Amino acid sequence: MPKQIAIYGKGGIGKSSTASNVAAACADEGYRVTIIGCDPKSDSSITLLRGRRIPTIMDLMREGEDIKEEDIVFSGYKGVKCVEIGGPEPGIGCAGRGIIVAIGLLRKISTAIEDTDLVIYDVPGDIVCGGFVAPVKKGLVNEAYVLTSGEYMPLYAANNICKGLSRLEMTLNGVICNSRGAPNEEKIVSEFAKEIGSQLLAFIPKDVLVQTCERDGFSVIEKAPDSAIAGVYRKLAKAIMAEKSAKIAVPLSDARLRELTRI
Amino acid sequence: MPVKQKEPLIMHPRPSSIVAALYTLRDLDTDVVILHGPPGCSFKHARLLEEDGMRVVTTSLDESGFVFGGHDALVEVLEKVIKRFNPKRIGIVGTCASMIIGEELHEAVMDVQPDVPVIEVEVHAGYRDNTKGVIIALESALASGIISETEFERQKSLLKEATMVEKRHGAASKEYLEPSRGDLKYKVAERLIELIKNGKKGINILNAKKETAFMFADINLAVAQVAEKMGKSSNIINMANLDEKLGLPKNRRNAREVKDDLEKAGMRIHHVIGGLDEYPIAGITASQIIGEKYTDFDFAVITGVPHALPMDNLKDMELFSITNGPRQVVPLKEMGHKHVVVEIDLHPKTLGVNHIVESEFGATLRELAKDA
Repeated sequence: MPKQIAIYGKGGIGKSSTASNVAAACADEGYRVTIIGCDPKSDSSITLLRGRRIPTIMDLMREGEDIKEEDIVFSGYKGVKCVEIGGPEPGIGCAGRGIIVAIGLLRKISTAIEDTDLVIYDVPGDIVCGGFVAPVKKGLVNEAYVLTSGEYMPLYAANNICKGLSRLEMTLNGVICNSRGAPNEEKIVSEFAKEIGSQLLAFIPKDVLVQTCERDGFSVIEKAPDSAIAGVYRKLAKAIMAEKSAKIAVPLSDARLRELTRI
Repeated sequence: MPVKQKEPLIMHPRPSSIVAALYTLRDLDTDVVILHGPPGCSFKHARLLEEDGMRVVTTSLDESGFVFGGHDALVEVLEKVIKRFNPKRIGIVGTCASMIIGEELHEAVMDVQPDVPVIEVEVHAGYRDNTKGVIIALESALASGIISETEFERQKSLLKEATMVEKRHGAASKEYLEPSRGDLKYKVAERLIELIKNGKKGINILNAKKETAFMFADINLAVAQVAEKMGKSSNIINMANLDEKLGLPKNRRNAREVKDDLEKAGMRIHHVIGGLDEYPIAGITASQIIGEKYTDFDFAVITGVPHALPMDNLKDMELFSITNGPRQVVPLKEMGHKHVVVEIDLHPKTLGVNHIVESEFGATLRELAKDA
């Protein structure tokens, strides 16, 4: 069975950048990787496809297409399989139902989430309804990671995600710090990880190279493979692929969270 | 990229796949079904199915359930069902509301761990063909080892045919079908008796969907009795889809019960054209037999699902068809059926019974034949 992971975290914290760079780094190591974009914005795989936007499952369903695997699964950097679920325009219909239906279809017509070594579900920051946890509930996710910076709000979101995961009896496999340049950031996130019963897997320093590569439609792994930041992603990829213990996270009280961010 | 041919919009209400799943669970001898959704969902059918001995309960989701999820309610109802009914087999059926909010029926089953089989049916009513509800229920029954792979495949191909029958000449054949009460029973019965009396040769076909045979068979029986009374029995050939060796447990039982009643009343079935769940294909068998032996016959009486009979070998006969669908009248007339009679509200009267039930048209025939 492939390693099936989901990366959670506050919106805008860098989940898609992390997911695509990890995907590319794993592909470099020779792993077969599949990335499933679950955000209606459908921008999870864009840097693995040189800036190209691929048709989403939901777009094709709306058009009434007879959908085949090759219409929705696209080969990106070093053969990474890219799928975007897509969804309705903001404020219309039901994006959550869209995810349920799309996951069902994907399982039926494609082997992309079975015949592979690593599946990354790039989920939106806000798990606003049941549909957004469909991959977890359908047993398609066996490892969960939380991405956060050392600022209060992202940590608050990370803590909430831990609450949600423990309610689903889903273990947490690690915390990743995507630095935004807050003081004492690595220490804060490392302490947070320890206190919820997990571990800090990687500290990703703030590096403008990530953004400049993205602007051109690339991951840093592809565009700047020798950069320091590419090295950080490679290390994270190794940590994700390694076997490690996972426990159900114990969320912190809000008071303790506030204290932590003042270290 | 191949684009699916856009199916035309159909405006009139049609059978629901949730209800189809409920009936399938009944045919599988399920004791209690939990509908996971709002209290009024599928009310009328849930109520009717109780006549057949199956209990249907609901998790009664309300606004708060839609917003906060219905997992706890499902666990609670499942536990109560086990305690109150001591069932041997349980079904859990989804609804539009619970499926849209992403409820996982299986989670509740994992929490409760009942020691009897639970058939989980993740279904809503948003499928174009209601047969989808049957297929999902059967898939789940197959996964729980309740039916065999062979039976599953057999059912699936029958359902595909049933869907095609409805698309060709049934409820899914037009954007809008006007409901109709059909032709006046009195007039139609008069004409039918006239033909029998004049020694015309007729084929008397029962092609009924499952338990509806309990009432449709009464019409075929009345035809046979009228012919008998007039000494014209030898002019009538009887066919029926009453093979008691085919189908899910309930369908087999019902076939035997109807057949026993017919035989006790002295009606001989010349040709058994299939099982009670074979109404989409039994008509083809009937048509073949007609083509081989009875092409010179003058009229045919077809009860149940008359629109499933191909017209090739019938087109020169005067056709009397009896349906229970007010929206089936227009398509049948267009196919060339001269007389179309509707037995309104037939289905509810065929639940909870194990003997033939009197039909209006059957009663009309018997009454008119007294003076003929």
